[in-house]
Amino acid sequence: MHVACLLVPNFAVALARRDDPRLKGKPIVIGGSPDEHSAVTACSEEAAAAGVSIGTTLRRALALCPEAVFLPNRQAEVAAEAARLLDLVRLYSPRVEGIAPGHVHFEIRGLAALARMETGAWLRDLSTATEQASGLGAGLAAAETVFAAHSANYTRLPGNDRQGAVPGRREPILIEPGKAPAFLSQLPVEVLPVPAAMHQRLRLFGIERLGQLAALPRSAVEAQFGREGGRAWELARGQDDAQITPGAETVVLSEAADLPAPTALSEPLVAGTLTLILRALEREEARGRSIRRLDWRVGLESGEELTRRTVFREPTADAARMQFALRGKIERLRLPSAAIAIGVVLSGLCSEYGHQGNLWQVGPRRWKELAESIEQLHVRTGNTQVFRIVEVQPWSRLPERQLGLVAFGG
Amino acid sequence: MNGDAVRPLNTPVPAAVEAAGTGAPVAVVWHGVYRRVRAIHDTWRIDDEWWREEVSRRYYVVELDTGRRLTLYRDLVRDLWYAQAYQPGRAGKRPAAAG
Repeated sequence: MHVACLLVPNFAVALARRDDPRLKGKPIVIGGSPDEHSAVTACSEEAAAAGVSIGTTLRRALALCPEAVFLPNRQAEVAAEAARLLDLVRLYSPRVEGIAPGHVHFEIRGLAALARMETGAWLRDLSTATEQASGLGAGLAAAETVFAAHSANYTRLPGNDRQGAVPGRREPILIEPGKAPAFLSQLPVEVLPVPAAMHQRLRLFGIERLGQLAALPRSAVEAQFGREGGRAWELARGQDDAQITPGAETVVLSEAADLPAPTALSEPLVAGTLTLILRALEREEARGRSIRRLDWRVGLESGEELTRRTVFREPTADAARMQFALRGKIERLRLPSAAIAIGVVLSGLCSEYGHQGNLWQVGPRRWKELAESIEQLHVRTGNTQVFRIVEVQPWSRLPERQLGLVAFGG
Repeated sequence: MNGDAVRPLNTPVPAAVEAAGTGAPVAVVWHGVYRRVRAIHDTWRIDDEWWREEVSRRYYVVELDTGRRLTLYRDLVRDLWYAQAYQPGRAGKRPAAAG
């Protein structure tokens, strides 16, 4: 087996229950309190059974499930726990891909043999270690391909249990080489990574299981569903060449300094911040990159720490611009005690940001001048020189029928 | 050219392709240079307009040994190879057929 999938079903709810065991068995709705004008971002199986789903307004969720416990969004905690889970898996595998919070794909080829264990035992070991470290029960599945491993865990999701076929939570699901097509054939079409509309259309055609899809001729599936249909057909037959794509490491530039003397004035803080920003931008990792986000913090004599975040509308590598954006926030601070240290964290590094101007953002006068110039060009050369791209048959599957060129001004 | 005429865009360009027994391309002459196909990233088939002039194509997205990606297709009716950038048709209203 080459690939494993680790899944903590309903991650946000699982976290809430881990942190407050009294919530076990109770319907939970995450998104805020019912009097907020907001929507559900996660809900437990009990709440889902009452008709609550992601996107339902909180008021409607209360009407559907009055006994539900409403919890606020904890996006920062969810993201931090998800990152911690990824780090845990990275202790076991060098190639790890975070799909979503609580959902991880990773390579396992040869790793069990290195530990002189069978794959099943090695995965059980990993599952136990993960649960002990995170307090979260995770389902594990392994197969030769990403899709097969991912789909095996699909059966663990509430409501998707294959009758009598779901092992205990800690027991990994192992799909032996060559057995994937048989395993996949019984799974519902909803497991395919295609738009929901395609799932519905497949069911309208009477295709409910992957085995039914796999039995069809590929050309017929592609004729109905295009390239996505061809890909779905391959996946249904266990053909998948997807690779684990580890996410790029997040680069963060941190600089900090103690102030020469405690101060409650904003000017020393602003000046010191500029120095730290310049120091961070001189680092090798910042060369040729722009910054999207700046987190600033000030340490106080009382031991407190205040932070301010600035997200730039356009990424920038201009220290003066960053300082200018932060200056107002620093000047508005009312420090409860003198500041003794400051720090900056620059993150969201991206390639140098070029602003593409819009050629056609011209007023009527300039437009008329442009049209006249183009007409002169046509007359001088005797041929149409400037064209516009127009849609001819945008629905066509033949690329040469989709777009065409017409004379500009024609 | 008549100013009102629509000039087609993205017309297929004939390509010299060496194919394996399975029909998959293994090499292509690109810009006058013989290049091996390092990998085939995607393949699909289009069958269309059987009522008019039959169109039957097998497309391949290939990666050459230089790392460059190309989209090629084999015209299954005439058994000829072409290079053509591919964009799936956009879902939308298709005018009703006349008559």
